[in-house]
Amino acid sequence: RMEASCLELALEGERLCKAGDCRAGVSFFEAAVQVGTEDLRTLSAIYSQLGNAYFYLHEYAKALEYHHHDLTLARTIGDLLGEAKASGNLGNTLKVLGNFEEAIVCCQRHLDISRELNDKVGEARALYNLGNVYHSKGKNVASAGTHDPGELPDDVKSALQKAANYYEENLTIVTELSDRAAQGRAFGNLGNTHYLLGNFRSAVLAHEQRLLIAKEFGDRSAERRAYSNLGNAYIFLGEFETASEYYKRTLQLARQLKDRAVEAQACYSLGNTYTLLQDYEKAIDYHLKHLVIAQELNDKIGEGRACWSLGNAYTALGNHDQAIHFAERHLEISREVGDRSGELTARLNLSDLHMVLGLSYSTNTSMMSESHVVENSLNGTRPRVGRRHSMENMELMKLTPEKVQNWN
Amino acid sequence: SQPLAGHQAAELQSKVVPSKQILHSDNMEMEPETMETKSVTDYFSKLHMGSLVYSCTSKRKSK
Repeated sequence: RMEASCLELALEGERLCKAGDCRAGVSFFEAAVQVGTEDLRTLSAIYSQLGNAYFYLHEYAKALEYHHHDLTLARTIGDLLGEAKASGNLGNTLKVLGNFEEAIVCCQRHLDISRELNDKVGEARALYNLGNVYHSKGKNVASAGTHDPGELPDDVKSALQKAANYYEENLTIVTELSDRAAQGRAFGNLGNTHYLLGNFRSAVLAHEQRLLIAKEFGDRSAERRAYSNLGNAYIFLGEFETASEYYKRTLQLARQLKDRAVEAQACYSLGNTYTLLQDYEKAIDYHLKHLVIAQELNDKIGEGRACWSLGNAYTALGNHDQAIHFAERHLEISREVGDRSGELTARLNLSDLHMVLGLSYSTNTSMMSESHVVENSLNGTRPRVGRRHSMENMELMKLTPEKVQNWN
Repeated sequence: SQPLAGHQAAELQSKVVPSKQILHSDNMEMEPETMETKSVTDYFSKLHMGSLVYSCTSKRKSK
């Protein structure tokens, strides 16, 4: 009986991965490695594809292992183009794992070799990867704090500025190469980088380009991403009506693409936007839609957010019974998921509502007596009635158009 | 019962819930990564097509 050769197994692995079945592809590639081959270029291609398959399966430790093998092998056999590719893949993997400094070294190596080989396509791709690493690095540091876009420490700003520069450099080359798909990707991420930097007008311009290219390709996922990102940017420009239009298109496409999680996010964004527009009926409508999907997807954190938002919106409308219902639900969920700050907020909201409705009503419920304990423990720091209207005073509202213009 | 007065309403906002929780910013939509690809077939077609195909087929015939 003839046994399958390493090559045959690898070819089947390639076929399966191309067909989108990475899990099965991995089995064949691993079998191919088991059989082994003396042809180091073939082995390098197998390691590389194993690394990519694991990357797409989100098994990054395995991806790292195989891209590392590939890099070592490419260097051993003196395959410069192979080394460039392995470096790029290793860089992308290290980025996802949060090892930004090593990721930069690898992506830079990809760039250097591509330039040495006068490989324009490789050069452009390395620049895009470098942009992505610096973007992730900036976002990672930024998310450790509680900054809004545009209010950034210097190290974050410098990483994001570098990302923007790499995307711009990439765009110059891919425009020369007339590679529209690559332009689309660069515009999208450039737009998001400008957004984080607080350059909201520039973000809009980039995402508009991204949208145009997505439509050219009939790429509806990319189109949906562009609408969502445009909505986000218009929120910070203080143009809530425009933002709501873009979020509605996001919602429409999310429904067409049958992506419930994205649909929920679009509803949530619309709920917040209508809160900013002080149209609380519509806000409630969308937050309820978000709530239903969050429950369906068993997304407890989303459900808690929905309840918190609904509590605020009902309070704004003076519907205190509904407000209390959702504040109580928010408290329950916060306790369930161990969200301490959410729990505290819910208790404070409840105690405010209880004050609004009068003591006789609220002391009947056990929830209320618990919130008295919290009040006492807070030692007089309990905020006054009126904090309930936090949605009207969302930090977003500080961004008056005048202030925004100074940033651009 | 005590109604919410306008001036009170405008006075304070929650210090407990970080703004991120209500912001849209943590849901930025990024473009996908691009990975570099290698293929065992690329390698054949470019470099060793003739000789390897020959050696493969002759090996099979001999089995």
